Amino acid sequence: MKIDFKINGKPTSIDVDPNMPLLWVVRDELKLTATKFGCGQAMCGACTLHVDGEALRSCSIPAEFVAGKEITTLEGLSKSKETTDGDLQLHPIQQAWMEEQVPQCGYCQSGFMMAAAKLIKDNPNPSDDDIKNGITNICRCGTHPRIIKAIKRAAELQNQKP
Amino acid sequence: MSTDTNKKAFSRRKFLQRGAIVLGGSVVASYLGCSPMRRFTAQKAENMDLPASISSFQPDFWFEVLADNTILLKSPKIEMGQGIWTGFAMLAAEELEVPIEQIKVEHASTSSGLIDNINTGGSTSTASLYEPIREVAATMREMLKVAASKQWGVAIGTIKAENGVLSSGNKKITYAEIASSTKEWDIPKTPALKPKSAFKYVGKSVKRIDLKPKVMGTAKYTMDSELPDMLYAVLLQSPYIDGTIKTIDTSEAAKSSGVIKIIHEGELVAVVAKTFYAADSAVKKINVSWNTPNKTQQADLIKLVTVGNGKEVNVQKEGKARSIIEDNQAEVFKQEYRTPMATHAQMEVNAAIAHVEADKATIIVGTQGPSQVRDMVAKALKLKKDNIDVHTPLVGGGFGRKATKGNFVEAALISKAVGKPVKLFNSRQQEFQNGVYRPNTHHVLQAKIDKNGQIEAITHDQATPDMILKTLLNGNDIVLKLLGSDFISAGHGASIMYNVPNKATSVWNTDVPVPISIWRAVGMFPNTFAIESFINELAKKVGKDPITFRTDMLHDKEDKIAQRSKKVLETLAEKSAWKNQKTESVGRGIAIANDRKTIAAAAIEIEILEDKIKVKKVTHVMDVGQSINPEGIKQQVESAIMMGISAALHEELTVKDGQIEQGFFSQYPLAMLTDVPEIQVFILEGDDIPYGVGEPPLSPIAPAIAGAILDLTGKALRSLPLRLS
Repeated sequence: MKIDFKINGKPTSIDVDPNMPLLWVVRDELKLTATKFGCGQAMCGACTLHVDGEALRSCSIPAEFVAGKEITTLEGLSKSKETTDGDLQLHPIQQAWMEEQVPQCGYCQSGFMMAAAKLIKDNPNPSDDDIKNGITNICRCGTHPRIIKAIKRAAELQNQKP
Repeated sequence: MSTDTNKKAFSRRKFLQRGAIVLGGSVVASYLGCSPMRRFTAQKAENMDLPASISSFQPDFWFEVLADNTILLKSPKIEMGQGIWTGFAMLAAEELEVPIEQIKVEHASTSSGLIDNINTGGSTSTASLYEPIREVAATMREMLKVAASKQWGVAIGTIKAENGVLSSGNKKITYAEIASSTKEWDIPKTPALKPKSAFKYVGKSVKRIDLKPKVMGTAKYTMDSELPDMLYAVLLQSPYIDGTIKTIDTSEAAKSSGVIKIIHEGELVAVVAKTFYAADSAVKKINVSWNTPNKTQQADLIKLVTVGNGKEVNVQKEGKARSIIEDNQAEVFKQEYRTPMATHAQMEVNAAIAHVEADKATIIVGTQGPSQVRDMVAKALKLKKDNIDVHTPLVGGGFGRKATKGNFVEAALISKAVGKPVKLFNSRQQEFQNGVYRPNTHHVLQAKIDKNGQIEAITHDQATPDMILKTLLNGNDIVLKLLGSDFISAGHGASIMYNVPNKATSVWNTDVPVPISIWRAVGMFPNTFAIESFINELAKKVGKDPITFRTDMLHDKEDKIAQRSKKVLETLAEKSAWKNQKTESVGRGIAIANDRKTIAAAAIEIEILEDKIKVKKVTHVMDVGQSINPEGIKQQVESAIMMGISAALHEELTVKDGQIEQGFFSQYPLAMLTDVPEIQVFILEGDDIPYGVGEPPLSPIAPAIAGAILDLTGKALRSLPLRLS
């Protein structure tokens, strides 16, 4: 089945089984590998990405669901506007993740960052409890304390922006 | 400076230098099996400065000077989140006299440099390479200087190395320029290393060098790797331990869309397809029934792993502990503790890409032991070791799981069968049910208290299956027989660290019908839970403060570990405001562990909310010897606190009818954001050399939580996970 959608701003068309999980469309067909496989059962959140602004677990969404929709993965989270040093203009979440040095093995971080980006968009001043209850992704390296700090820092950065 | 007379021609810009380090296993294998020797070996194993496990037969340590004047370090140890690449870059930058930004690190592959001979584990990577990396870097710096002095015709003493540039008077040349214009190298003797006072990087916090790729999503793991023309395979595995195929029908699967081949060779069953989705959909259409010879029940495991069962190996004997305990049974305080089976649950499942050709194979695999992968694949394919090239991308978590059985052999066999590169990875259910597990343990502790409320005699008996010798060394029975028991890992931390006149420890070694392996902190984790919980109970029994009770038993001025431990406890008391009045709803507990000379202690505050144990605050103090990257150490401590809370409160793996009962995260809860307490981390430097930091901070967490529950409720919980009812 031919499915048309936008991913990270780019109009895209693919021909796949309509039931193929979106995760494998993104990773194997489109070669965008920041979005990770963790459990395949929507329990760990490693595969979190945005579809029309909602944070969803892509391992459990069929490809046909995204027809006509806009997908954002971690690769598309920061604006592609080049700054003077050639770097991307980092999304506040990625900026805060750098400042707080969150990742260890790094494998689950894409999913956490995508869930966190959605959280601070909906809630510009999240409390610790908002964060703890709002994000149910799994990390085994124990980066949790820094994730909480980074989300609060990202909210600050977001609120400073004009 | 004197230079060796032998000159070596180097291939292009690569430098190689002596880096031979003692082979890990040989330390162990050279002792005989009589019991005083075993005890000696056990003590040695507990206290030893673990060698880097790098083989002496391949003594090359690779640096490469790249054209842009960055320097590539091919890491012999595996980065799986611990931050060792950053530590290595700091050590190299220190002696090479280049900014750390100019150092790149990647894993050596089996064909491109020195790799680890056993595996990356035991928190030894940075500590064991603290000198070798600096020595090699310093030697390389001197080699560059010698080359420049010859090119310029100036005395070597006039040449300065700074920021990756050599200079003498008005002359300047970058490392890259001198490297590309030098054909023959003099290898100088290793120069003296910088004194601590001159360190630019070591001991100061540096940001992880792998931070940006991990934040931008460009970091590549095995799961993200590809080879041209690659196919996907999905393995059909029995969900039963030791299960074998009884009946199988693959006809429906063969008709499934996108399937290229169904492989059925003995117990190896796999679907190969153009996409993962096609292979995964097809494998679900295979009709299979299993022979289930393994009927193990949870109660069987508990019974097997019980003190008194199996082979006893005495690993500590000071004074007359056994006879004092035996002769005074009426007065002896005795308690039993248990820890459960657990799984690693690392976020990146075991994955491998294999490309097997007529006489060679390429394996891309996230492993803690590339050389083991090479050996096992060579054996399975009946190829020479040298014809197996193992590449390791970043590893998405290991914790011991990737030190042993993966699915790389299966990937290689499947690639051979289809004649193309194949990617294979586990489902999460396979991770749970076809894994290797931290074994359950049982501990009996006994103590006799004297009239002053001091411990006169203490004994610890630990029952455990061996965790390492059979799995890691491919079942090296000779070593196991010599040692009698696996106290290198399972017995690790079993001995009593306190200055008590009479103490004895035994490890009761049993085989269990479940695949067993190592899990972060290995033996330290269960042993510290049991011993430190017992010490907390003893302190309560004699009415002493648990910190004072411990510091009173760390009085031996000649015992360096005791003195460092005392300092850690005193710091912990101060930083956790231990002497302050606490709120009535809060319980406080502490625990300490000496994990191969790293001393870690935690003071933990808990509350009980809606019948649930809630960790409120953790104060953690760790004496690491010489610290290399304090921010990196802090990350490891936070990591260990979260994993410790997870293991103490949530994790338990069980077996029923020969099957691991848990197959999903929902059945095996882990610590989440909701578990995050307030955390304070303090690092002490009680020695001039670095000790490990990856595992040591973990072990005190569970007994400190149990101690806090004891403080709040008066009830001693003696099994993990800690449950109020």
